[in-house]
Amino acid sequence: MTALSMTAEQSQAALATDGDLREKISVRNLNFYYGGYHALKAINLPLFDKRVTAFIGPSGCGKSTLLRILNRIYDLYPNQRAEGEVLLDGENLLSPKQDLNLLRARVGMVFQKPTPFPMSIYDNVAYGIRLYEKLSRADMDVRVEEALRKTALWGEVKDKLRQSGLSLSGGQQQRLCIARAVAVRPAVLLLDEPTSALDPISTSKIEELVDELKPDYCIAIVTHNMQQAARVSDFTAFMYLGELVEYGATDTIFTAPKEEKTEQYITGRFG
Amino acid sequence: MDMAVKASDISAASPRARTQRRNDFLFRGATLFFALLVLTLLGGVIISLIHGAWPALKLFGFGFVGTEIWNPVTEKFGALAPIYGTLVTSAIAMLVGVPVSFGIAIFLTELCPAWAKRPIGVAVELLAGIPSIIYGIWGLFVFAPFLQRTVQPFLINTLGNVPGIGIWFKGPPYGIGVLTAGLILAIMILPFITSITRDVFETMPTMLRESAYGLGATTWEVVRDITIPYTRVGLVGGVMLGLGRALGETMAVTFVIGNSHRIANSLLAPGTTISAAIANEFTEAVGETYTSSLIALGLVLFVITFIVLAMAKLMLVRMNRKAGV
Repeated sequence: MTALSMTAEQSQAALATDGDLREKISVRNLNFYYGGYHALKAINLPLFDKRVTAFIGPSGCGKSTLLRILNRIYDLYPNQRAEGEVLLDGENLLSPKQDLNLLRARVGMVFQKPTPFPMSIYDNVAYGIRLYEKLSRADMDVRVEEALRKTALWGEVKDKLRQSGLSLSGGQQQRLCIARAVAVRPAVLLLDEPTSALDPISTSKIEELVDELKPDYCIAIVTHNMQQAARVSDFTAFMYLGELVEYGATDTIFTAPKEEKTEQYITGRFG
Repeated sequence: MDMAVKASDISAASPRARTQRRNDFLFRGATLFFALLVLTLLGGVIISLIHGAWPALKLFGFGFVGTEIWNPVTEKFGALAPIYGTLVTSAIAMLVGVPVSFGIAIFLTELCPAWAKRPIGVAVELLAGIPSIIYGIWGLFVFAPFLQRTVQPFLINTLGNVPGIGIWFKGPPYGIGVLTAGLILAIMILPFITSITRDVFETMPTMLRESAYGLGATTWEVVRDITIPYTRVGLVGGVMLGLGRALGETMAVTFVIGNSHRIANSLLAPGTTISAAIANEFTEAVGETYTSSLIALGLVLFVITFIVLAMAKLMLVRMNRKAGV
C-alpha cells in the first residue's frame, strides 16, 4: 500500500498505534532574520524521534533556513539571527551557552550537493570520529565499516578505502557524506535536498537509505520533490513565504490537506 | 521594413561570412604571435646571459659557484657568498612571511567581522604598493637601528646561548645584515602571499566548508584539514610567487644587507645576495672578467629560480598523488 492511497483515517490510526512517538526537537515560536529580512515567522513544530519529517514548499519559503537553524550552521554568518526556542531533548539549542561543536556532533547534516573532503574514502568517514574520539586503529576500522555498511556503501568501496573520496560517482559521494554524518553517531540527521544533484537511481538508493536509517535517528529532510516527501516521510510540514502553513502526518497532508494553499501546492497549481 | 535575415545572407560565400573568417584568422594569428613572443624573449634572455657569462665561466669553471672569494683587484671571482646570502635571506623571509600571510588570510576569510574586512584588506594591498626603495630607506634608517638596539641583543643573549643554533645568533649586533634583509623581505612578500592566499581560500565551495563545520570541526580544524588541502595548488602558487620575489628583490636588500662577500656563521653579520651584488657593482665593474662574473651571477639566479619552480611543480605532483586525485 503506498502512502498516497492511504486514507487520512487510516494514517491517523496508524500513528495512534505508535505508542513510542517521542518529541526529539521542539521548535517554538521561532523567528529568523537575514539582516533585516524576516525569513521565518513564528514557527512551531515538533520533530519526532525515529521518524522522518519532510519540509516542503516553493523556493524561498524558508524550509532550508529552518533546517539550517537546527544545527546552527547559520551561525557562521554574522548578520543572520534566530529568535525563539528550539529544544533538543528539552535543551534550548539557540542558547548562547550552547557549545556549537558538540551540537553539530549530535545533529548531522547532508547538503544539496555531495561534499566529500579532499582525502581518502576511509578518512572522509573517520574524520568526524577523530574530532571527538581517540580510537585505536582497529576500533576505528570497525566504526568506519559500520558507517559504510549502514549507508550500503561498504560493498562498493571496501577494496578502495585508500582512494580519494572524489573518485566516487555522485550518488556514491552523497552516500559517503551520509556515512560521514552517521559515523559520529548523531541523534538527528538533517538532509537538505540530498538528491537534488543526483540521477533517479542514486535518488532511489538515498531514499531507501533514509528508510533504513529511520529506526535509529530523528530525520528531517528538505525536498522540492513532493513524491519524495510522500515516499520517505512520516510527517510533513508545508511552508510558504516564511510561515508554516500546515503540519501533519504525511498521508493526511497529501490526501486531505486542511489548508487550501497546501492543496494547491501538492496538486501542482503553484510553486 | 523587413528585418528578417534570409538564409542566403548567411551562406558561407557571403561577404559577412568572409569578413568573419578573416577576422578570426587574424585574431588567432595575433594570439599565437603573443604566445611565441614569450618564448622568444625567454630564449633571448637565456642566450644573452650565457653569452655574457661565458668568459667568466670559462675562466673559473664550476669553481665559480663553489668559491667564496670575490676580489676585483686580483680578478678572482666566486659566487658562493651571494648564493648563500640569496638562499638564506629568502629562507628567513619565507619562514617568517608565509605563516603570517596564512594567518592574515585565514583571519580575513574565516573569522574577521564584516566591518574590519575591508580596512585590513586595503591595508594589505597598500603594503604591496610601497616601492621597494621605500622599504630600503625605512630598513636602513628605522628598522635596522631598531633591530640593533632591541631584537638583536635579545637574540644574542637568548638563542645565542642555545647549543647548535646558537652559532646563528652570535657576534655583535650590526643592525644591518642577513637577518635584517630576511625580515624586510618577509614584510615585502607578505601582501603578495596574503592576497593570493585569501583569493584561493575564497574559491572554497560554501557547502564544503559548511559540511566540515557541520560535523563539528573548529575553525582551525576546518582550515587545516579541509581548506588548505582543497586549495593546495593555489597556495603553492602564492608561496612560489612570494619566493620568486624574495629571491630577486634587489633595492631593499642592498640597503640593509651590508654588501660583504663573506659567508658568516651568524645571521646577524653582513652578507650579500646575487641581485644586491649585481646592482651594487655593475657601475664600477671594469674589465671583461669582472663584468662577465656579474652576468654569470645573474645566470646563477636564473637557474636557482628555475630549480625552485621545478621543485614546486614536483611537490604539487606528489601532493596530488597523496590525495589520490
